[in-house]
Amino acid sequence: MTATATRPAPPQSVRAPRTGAVKTPLWSRLVPTLVLLIGAVYCLIPVAWVFVATTKSREELFTTFTFAPGSGLFENLGALFAYGNGQFGLWAANSLFYAGLGALLSTFVSAMAGYALAKYEFRGRSLIFYSILAGVLIPGITLAVPQYLLLSQIGLAGTPLSVLLPCIISPFGIYLSRVYALSAVPQETIEAARIDGASEWRIFQSIAVPLLLPGMVTVFLLQFIGIWNNFLLPYIMLSDQDNYPLTVGLYTLLAKGSGSPALYSLAIAGAAVSIIPLVALVLFLQRYWRLDLISGGLKG
Amino acid sequence: MTTTNSRTGSTTATAVMVRQRRSRPRLAPYLFAAPAIVLYIVFMLIPVGYAIWLSLRAYRLEGGGMLGRRVDVFVGLENYFSVLSDPELIASFGRLAIYGIIAVPLTLGLSLLFALLLDVPAVRAKRFSRTAIFVPYAVPGVVAALLWGFMYLPSTSPFSYITESMGLGGIPFLENPGLFGSLANIAIWGGVGFNMIIIFTSLRGIPAELYESARLDGANEIQIALRVKVPLVMPAVILTTVFSLIGTLQLYGEPMTLKPMTSAISQSWAPLMTIYRDAFITDNLPAAAASSTILALGTVLVSVIVLRLANRKTMEAVK
Amino acid sequence: MRSRVLASIGVLAVSAAALTGCSTPSDSGSVTLEFWSWAPDTQKIVDIWNEEHPEIQVNYTDAGGGDESAAKILTASRAGNAPDLAAVEYTTLPSLIVADVPLDLTDAVADVQDAYTEGTWQQTTFDGSVFGLPQDVGPMSLIYRADKLAEFGIPAPTTWAEFREAAAAVRSADPNAYIASIPPGELGFYAGVATQAGSEWWSVSGSEWTVGIADEASLEVADFFDQMAKDDLILTDPLLTPEYNKMLNEGTILSWPSALWAPGVIESVAPDTAGSWEMSPLPQWTPGEKAAAYQGGSAVIVTKESEHADAAIEFAKWLNASDEGSELVLSEQNAYPAAIAGQEAAAENEPPTLMPQQADFYEVAAEISAETIPVTWGPNVSFAKTTFTDQLSKAIENGTPWRDAFIATQDAVVKDMKTTGFELTNG
Repeated sequence: MTATATRPAPPQSVRAPRTGAVKTPLWSRLVPTLVLLIGAVYCLIPVAWVFVATTKSREELFTTFTFAPGSGLFENLGALFAYGNGQFGLWAANSLFYAGLGALLSTFVSAMAGYALAKYEFRGRSLIFYSILAGVLIPGITLAVPQYLLLSQIGLAGTPLSVLLPCIISPFGIYLSRVYALSAVPQETIEAARIDGASEWRIFQSIAVPLLLPGMVTVFLLQFIGIWNNFLLPYIMLSDQDNYPLTVGLYTLLAKGSGSPALYSLAIAGAAVSIIPLVALVLFLQRYWRLDLISGGLKG
Repeated sequence: MTTTNSRTGSTTATAVMVRQRRSRPRLAPYLFAAPAIVLYIVFMLIPVGYAIWLSLRAYRLEGGGMLGRRVDVFVGLENYFSVLSDPELIASFGRLAIYGIIAVPLTLGLSLLFALLLDVPAVRAKRFSRTAIFVPYAVPGVVAALLWGFMYLPSTSPFSYITESMGLGGIPFLENPGLFGSLANIAIWGGVGFNMIIIFTSLRGIPAELYESARLDGANEIQIALRVKVPLVMPAVILTTVFSLIGTLQLYGEPMTLKPMTSAISQSWAPLMTIYRDAFITDNLPAAAASSTILALGTVLVSVIVLRLANRKTMEAVK
Repeated sequence: MRSRVLASIGVLAVSAAALTGCSTPSDSGSVTLEFWSWAPDTQKIVDIWNEEHPEIQVNYTDAGGGDESAAKILTASRAGNAPDLAAVEYTTLPSLIVADVPLDLTDAVADVQDAYTEGTWQQTTFDGSVFGLPQDVGPMSLIYRADKLAEFGIPAPTTWAEFREAAAAVRSADPNAYIASIPPGELGFYAGVATQAGSEWWSVSGSEWTVGIADEASLEVADFFDQMAKDDLILTDPLLTPEYNKMLNEGTILSWPSALWAPGVIESVAPDTAGSWEMSPLPQWTPGEKAAAYQGGSAVIVTKESEHADAAIEFAKWLNASDEGSELVLSEQNAYPAAIAGQEAAAENEPPTLMPQQADFYEVAAEISAETIPVTWGPNVSFAKTTFTDQLSKAIENGTPWRDAFIATQDAVVKDMKTTGFELTNG
């Protein structure tokens, strides 16, 4: 095998169709389909339960068969949106804000850095790249408390910015962008543009970004999901409930002091509602994104 | 960890171009990287430094009275000694090993299997299966907690319901040793989709001609999958292995999730849970910082070793 | 390039200003207090206050409950972001005092001491200084399924020996049912029943602490419940999990030895069982005694950092010590108020909706409350709790004696306190 064979295909290349090349016996069609469907069911069952459980009233939740639908759907949804004077809606909006804006900024910062690391020779390049890459290895828990103490010093702790800013730096996003820029942006095109007198920013903006777009969608999606699901950072940073994202909000429904029970029905209804936008986003963006670039860096 | 490859192989053309260039932009790359570097320093480097500084300190009592007041003082490496001599921490690494031996190969094996199946031309309902398998990745940990609690607890578990109605009794999901499988299952459930997509997209990048020649040699689909596809997606598999290993070392969400539901999971079940306890329950930040430093160093070590071994293996395989 | 970057920085700066701006007090002349709690419907009570006191506005935050919330207050305080007021559980108050979080309120609240019984007041008094105003208390009691016990012909237990007999009778009457689940996570319960048996898990004389988690009385308590669990008379599964809630709904968990706040908890997870429960004093170790300790309950502290301590103290007094506030604690939060006024108001209240038929509920409650033994909590209860839970879980799983878990906890707690620098009488 040559190195070229394993290189990730450029985004526009589509593999030649191979259907009809060989007559396939029935079993070889059925068995793989069946195995995949079993996998799909395995992944969907617990998610399906969240939606079923949303229809259950408080007592049905614990008494009826796990997957038996209940009669409390509207009651639960009503209670959910009425909780704390409509706080759930706020939390959802906050989650969208943190994840949306955070992922967008993160994508641009990562794309610029990845492009620089891939397409320029400069002093300190390896140092910068490996330092940032090492960030993947540090657990978030380790960083959360120091980040909080430091942000407090500059008076940002407790504000939405304290959740937004630390999310923008994504070692993994930078790594992906670099790998993708290596294969997707031909050096020749950049050189040609330079000869035509284009500025470096202009080359990035009008040549690199369009080529990098599929990679950027991937980084955006990964970051969006990451920030949306992030719990510890906002939990530590925020103290005003109106700034909470969904994860922390749902947590406060479940974690009460002695004498106050977990609000299971509310939390489950909230969970179901909060999964929907993410699944929609994944469905919508999955045709654009390219995860093969993740493994591209390991190839010859 | 990867430059050796990318430099030697595909970038020769780039290197030629670079040498030919007359004047190359000096400032531009720094400007492009500046936002990332600044954010990296502020939100990662300084906090890491701060954590290391914290790990050398401890809270000690000052002043008399019944309660006194705690102040933090410099204690050198004391936290490291006490952390490393804690038998519970060592035991937690043992538990992690058992968990990892179940979770990592299964996650990767299933991801590879599903990716290969998705690549079989005759398979139906691909889009549905692919999306369905990916969906758990989008479920937040807090939600997964609730979800698996209901799936595992004997009286609400649909699986135990089935076995019970067959007269077999419930399944002890939350007791040892079944607990390891239950925890691994959550990780597999959440991780298969992501890894599958990585391997699958890497499969899609393989030119079809390679299969055609194999077919002409009389190979069937299974042989093609094993002899042609698997070696070609090895880099993707290795990378997902490294991610899974890092994920294993940083295991935290799943046991934390199930902890309120069972006594079989202690507050020091996994190393990161001990760190969480020290930092957020018993207010011993310095100990948490010391354990974190040790864990981070361990993670670097494991990743480097795996990549070194893997790189050697793939190079051989490719040759 | 520059203009765009600058523009986006500008956007960030503007949004930063806008975002940080909303946390500062709006109209001049009035103060805004930050208040963290977790009790249900605290917002309603705060709204009533805000209505009546335009000059002192309170901004309430549900900061979550439990052990993590204490750590959150600690971290916030260390970073200079502590709220003006916070609800804390009695168990974590000492650790906050050691970390220098709460303000010494001794002089400021002296005028409302009469609003509380001596035992309640002791819960927030350390070394002669008062660090918080008690909000609600949890005198220990037993709630049980009166209908089921009657059906099985089992009398409600008044002593722990009877509790054991009742447990055995329940097992033979219905093989799926248990009298109760008493899991290792409930340090508060074990500390409470040990206190009832005459033990003191933490005590202090002068500046010397004594840890009694493994004293003779505690070890006997350990043996008692150990034997019950080994004889399959009680469960040791965690409380209020979906599993537990299901058993409550099915009627296969027949009692909950805990505290006066229990009815509200049960009602929210098993509303259909309302009407079949009753509350009685906690079973006794010695027949005829009336000993009960506190389990749970919370106080409100004013933090040292508060810039409006006077206003904060005024609000805390209203919330916890005034007639109006303590009655709201009862009616809105469904908690048993710490202040005498609230407890007296309770006596005239309808019984909790879980047991509408038990007309004498609050009479019984008042009797229990009058006799409650104050508990001194140590400076490292969170540490003790995780250690205790882990050790006891291990003992249950391995079938080893529970008393060993108590001894191991004692040793770890003593070691932890010594490392921090406390003086101890323990060897």
